[in-house]
Amino acid sequence: MSPERKIGDRRIDLAWLMLVLLSVGGAGIGSSDANAVLVAVGVSLVMAIKLRLVCTYFLELHEAHPRIRRAVLAFCHGMPILVILTTAFGDTLSRLTGALVG
Amino acid sequence: MWVGIFCEITEFALLFAVFFVARAHHPEAFQAGPERLSLLAGTGYTLMLLTSGWCVARALHAMRRGDRRATVRWMLAGFVFGLGYPTIKVFELQRNFALGLDGSAGVFIVSYYYLTFTHLVHVFWGLLGMMWVIVRTGLGAYTTEEHSGLEAFACYWHVTDMIWLMIFPLFYLLG
Repeated sequence: MSPERKIGDRRIDLAWLMLVLLSVGGAGIGSSDANAVLVAVGVSLVMAIKLRLVCTYFLELHEAHPRIRRAVLAFCHGMPILVILTTAFGDTLSRLTGALVG
Repeated sequence: MWVGIFCEITEFALLFAVFFVARAHHPEAFQAGPERLSLLAGTGYTLMLLTSGWCVARALHAMRRGDRRATVRWMLAGFVFGLGYPTIKVFELQRNFALGLDGSAGVFIVSYYYLTFTHLVHVFWGLLGMMWVIVRTGLGAYTTEEHSGLEAFACYWHVTDMIWLMIFPLFYLLG
């Protein structure tokens, strides 16, 4: 591990504090009465930031092999995007998967 | 280590796909779903797992600088916060069953139990692994140069944490 890429204890502490604040704040977004797609965008944004913080400061994903890093990041970025898409285009997904569900 | 982690990610990716399809077919049930669950419990799980993950990350850093006692202390703290997850689960299940939220309470609740119980199993594996790593650290099995067992456990625990960060908004927030 190169010295410039080392993450110090203070940064881990700050990341944890951010995660706690985002978790409490994210719960507030979820309980709002706004439009479903807007709530999904807000919740997904908070989810993406939290996942990125965990990947960077806890999991230290930048130390992993590039292929592993890309795969994990694809999963982490894909999930919030899917939340938004399936909220906005739920009818289309329902039509496309109608044969599966029966 | 990463093979195991990718198995875990694949398993949950499939379960999430099922969740999205079920949600698309039963929008009303999933829209009303979060109100039936305890947001306090959901936030509690999140805070316990995040804090436990933070302790494990600090433990790994303590090991890298050769401070074994601090590593054990941080790991023990991580274990205590990790135990908070099943503890809250007991209270939440009691609440849910008292409200009639069992396996016959509709597609939302069934999806909820299926995903969260699968995650709970992974948390149990993690807690067992954490106990093992604490004992090994206490016995001096890890050093500043060689602590791959501790690193492997930390990766597993953080990925389990990440999975929860995805489950939490799906069931407790998206109405």
